[in-house]
Amino acid sequence: MRKPRTLARTALAAGAVMVLAACGGNPTSSDSGGGGGDTASGPSAAEQLYEEIAELSGQERRDRLVELAAEEDGLNLYTSMNADMVDAVTEAFTDEFDIDVSTYRAGSETVLQRILQEQDANFAGNDVVETNATELMALQQEDVMAQCASPERIDEVPEAGKYEDWVATRFNLFAPSWNTNIITDPPTVWEDLADPKYDGQLALELGDYDWYMALTGYWLEQGMSQEEVDQLWADIVDGAKVVKGHTVMAELMSAGQYGLASSNYTYIVEAAMADGAPLETQPYVNPIIARPNGGSCMKTAQNPATAMLFMDWLLDEGQAVLADQAATPSTVDIESELIPVDGQQLLDEGAEWSQRYDDLLSGVETIGG
Amino acid sequence: MTANLADPAVTPEELTRPTDGPPEPRKGRWRGPLTPKMFIVAGVAAAIGYLALVPLGYLVWGTFFDAEGLDLGSFERAYGDGRIGELWGNSLAFAFGAALLSITVGTTLAYLNVRTAVPFKALFFAASIVPLVIPGILYTVSWIFLASPQIGLLNAFFEPFLGVAPFNIFSLWGMIWVEGLHSSPIVFLLMVAAFRSMDPSLEESALMSGATRLQALRKVTLPLVRPALLSSVLVILITSLESFEVPALLGLQNGIYVFTSRIYFVLRSYPQDLGAAGALAVSLLAVAVIGVAVSRILAGKGSKTYQTVTGKGFRPRPMDLGKWKPVVGVGILFYFFVTVLGPLLVLLYAALLPYYQAPSWEAFSTFTFDNFVQVFEMNSAARALKNSLILGLSAATIVMALMAVASWISIRSTIPGRGIVEQLSFVPLVIPGIVLGLSISFVYLRFPLPIYGTLFILLIAYCTKYMPYGMRYATTSMTQISSELEESAMVSGASWWTTFRRVLLPLLSPGITAGFIYILVVSFRELSSSILLYSPGNEVLSILIWEQFENGSFNVLAAIGVLMVIALMVMVTIAYKLGAKVGLRED
Repeated sequence: MRKPRTLARTALAAGAVMVLAACGGNPTSSDSGGGGGDTASGPSAAEQLYEEIAELSGQERRDRLVELAAEEDGLNLYTSMNADMVDAVTEAFTDEFDIDVSTYRAGSETVLQRILQEQDANFAGNDVVETNATELMALQQEDVMAQCASPERIDEVPEAGKYEDWVATRFNLFAPSWNTNIITDPPTVWEDLADPKYDGQLALELGDYDWYMALTGYWLEQGMSQEEVDQLWADIVDGAKVVKGHTVMAELMSAGQYGLASSNYTYIVEAAMADGAPLETQPYVNPIIARPNGGSCMKTAQNPATAMLFMDWLLDEGQAVLADQAATPSTVDIESELIPVDGQQLLDEGAEWSQRYDDLLSGVETIGG
Repeated sequence: MTANLADPAVTPEELTRPTDGPPEPRKGRWRGPLTPKMFIVAGVAAAIGYLALVPLGYLVWGTFFDAEGLDLGSFERAYGDGRIGELWGNSLAFAFGAALLSITVGTTLAYLNVRTAVPFKALFFAASIVPLVIPGILYTVSWIFLASPQIGLLNAFFEPFLGVAPFNIFSLWGMIWVEGLHSSPIVFLLMVAAFRSMDPSLEESALMSGATRLQALRKVTLPLVRPALLSSVLVILITSLESFEVPALLGLQNGIYVFTSRIYFVLRSYPQDLGAAGALAVSLLAVAVIGVAVSRILAGKGSKTYQTVTGKGFRPRPMDLGKWKPVVGVGILFYFFVTVLGPLLVLLYAALLPYYQAPSWEAFSTFTFDNFVQVFEMNSAARALKNSLILGLSAATIVMALMAVASWISIRSTIPGRGIVEQLSFVPLVIPGIVLGLSISFVYLRFPLPIYGTLFILLIAYCTKYMPYGMRYATTSMTQISSELEESAMVSGASWWTTFRRVLLPLLSPGITAGFIYILVVSFRELSSSILLYSPGNEVLSILIWEQFENGSFNVLAAIGVLMVIALMVMVTIAYKLGAKVGLRED
């Protein structure tokens, strides 16, 4: 007797929620133009300032920004830099300009979600965003950022790091790394990963579809046919293990669970090496796959002058601070050949590549035991 | 006062639609004017409805409607995968296996702890909770270090004797083992509460009538705690179906995929595919609704069946184990080593090393306290600890206070629609953590009061997330309390509120304490919604842990894990000592 009524009531309550939710508008629609009223009714105050300052350059620009920033209320930064890096960066910035930085740190997808939610509700939570290319492309599509860094500094960044609304501040390098106790003849080209001698020793990371996309593109450009590339991937995955997370990837490798990691970030491996772990990434397998990470100012920034000052500084003095943290700054020449991950392609085809990579990995053969 | 004021308008749907049909027959004591009882009951029901419906409404909307209107494509995206059969097969095998293991382990330990005279009780109790304290990723990785075919210490130890490496953690069995052990404290706490409220004279009667100990256990003890067992099965099944950490770290190495791996990806894509995630969550919701309905039918059928706390006085008295004592003692030692000491020692070992390496003299010579020093030197460690403490204690207190009243509404009252309170309280369990965070930020970004960006928004998230657990703990205890105690108090002239406070609450204390401890401990680990909702200055411990993880400093993470175990052990011990001061007392 009681059960049907309970279910009926649950349904009714759920119905009531839908009605209530309907009044609030679709919470998941992302096509509402992001910046809200500001963009519809002409440029925001922040955008006006960006345009005004854009006419200045050199020391004049810096002095003016310092002067304006002094009247503002610190800096709100949303970033996916890791803790050590962001601590170093914000401390150096504060030391130089005596401006407090309040930092929200999360994974790049979470940073994106947070900004989308806030912009949708016309809440100006951050002045600057600094995160991965994929998420910055999404924000560019949402039209919530404004390119604000000094054109002189942007000129120093390679083409692969220049986009309409944002600019690369650093690159994350994907390169194979290995445990020197296990692997005595490390790979020299990417095709080597398919070599059967690494069966049972090679580990791939679950979420590295951007690496998969870039490497596939590189091989196709080199003149390989689609079949050859597919065969190469099948041979790589054959006998490989799948790991979730780059930190776990490095930790298990230094423990000897496997000998070779296909695509770890070089900075994670270098940090482990600094602690004495028997790992190595060099000589790098060429070309290195580089994913740009960058930054931009928000159109809704409450502290626009500080935001501009920060971006200018990060592409100038800040580059040395990033390099100290084993990051690869975007304005410094790298000797190795770089294959950039294409941000636009990630935005347009990311979901498809993610699915393809997932399908590829789930064909992994049973090993171990 | 008018007649309809006396109608208890308590269920959320009654707040939004007029009552239809004839009113249910009510007991006389409901015919009061605006009593405190009515305010409390209505307030609690409204709070539960609100907390549950915010994330549910958000998810339902995203699942069925997009900008153009009704959309069933999300179901196709979620279930259209060619491997969906295999994914569900793996998920179900994993979830049922983990549920079976955690229930066996948790119940056995709880029984031994409460009902028998096992040695070292306090230590035993604290240690039974350790797997709950260790963050999942640390617990899982420490099992890789113990039982990996390549680098496992246990395998290295046994291989010379057996010729082969006996354990393979990278298998379905390994996944079940780790998830089952990691979840066993949930069951342990629930069952401790249930056994604590049981009159041992029932078992003694069985023994006197010639039953063996095993028969008494099977025919008397276990049937009496069926509601608690059912609650445990339900919670563990759903949490294991949702779990991604253990399947990702252990299953993927050998290509064992579960259906949550799809949710994991669709929620991280842009534009976010909330629909597909919702469509997958619908399956979990169905399991949950049926599960709660079944448990209500069970509890409803002859409500006296499970009432072991009656007007007849009793003192739970531990049973002498007799000749079984040494056997049980050895068993407990074995359990300790396997589930508590083993992983904990590996963590401690890793925390003392600059990077993980197999134990050797060379490794021992690199022992250092650097990782611990780093923890203490972290910029925001003290603030995060304080925030986590505030949030953990507040969430545990608020949830258990609300759920104590809610369990009364659900189990004891005759209010129409009481069943829905229990159903609603269970809803957040099936909502993925990220979706919970998104829905809460969606609401409070538009809320007139400045809650967004404060610690308060995290508190709301925690209360929502842990409400289902709190409700299971509270209802389990409530089913055990005989209504005659309440009636006696009423007859003696006590008001409902006095009765609730002076009679029911103390008798509920085993369940309330267990729920309090559970929420306090797990709230320290909550990451999926905290990371979206925290603001600079409001960091919590789980965020710091995640940061170390992102930095690649696994060994610092191990040091944090060790410190967390120590800190929470102390807190749990204090909470239990306080909890034991009220309510039922042992001899």
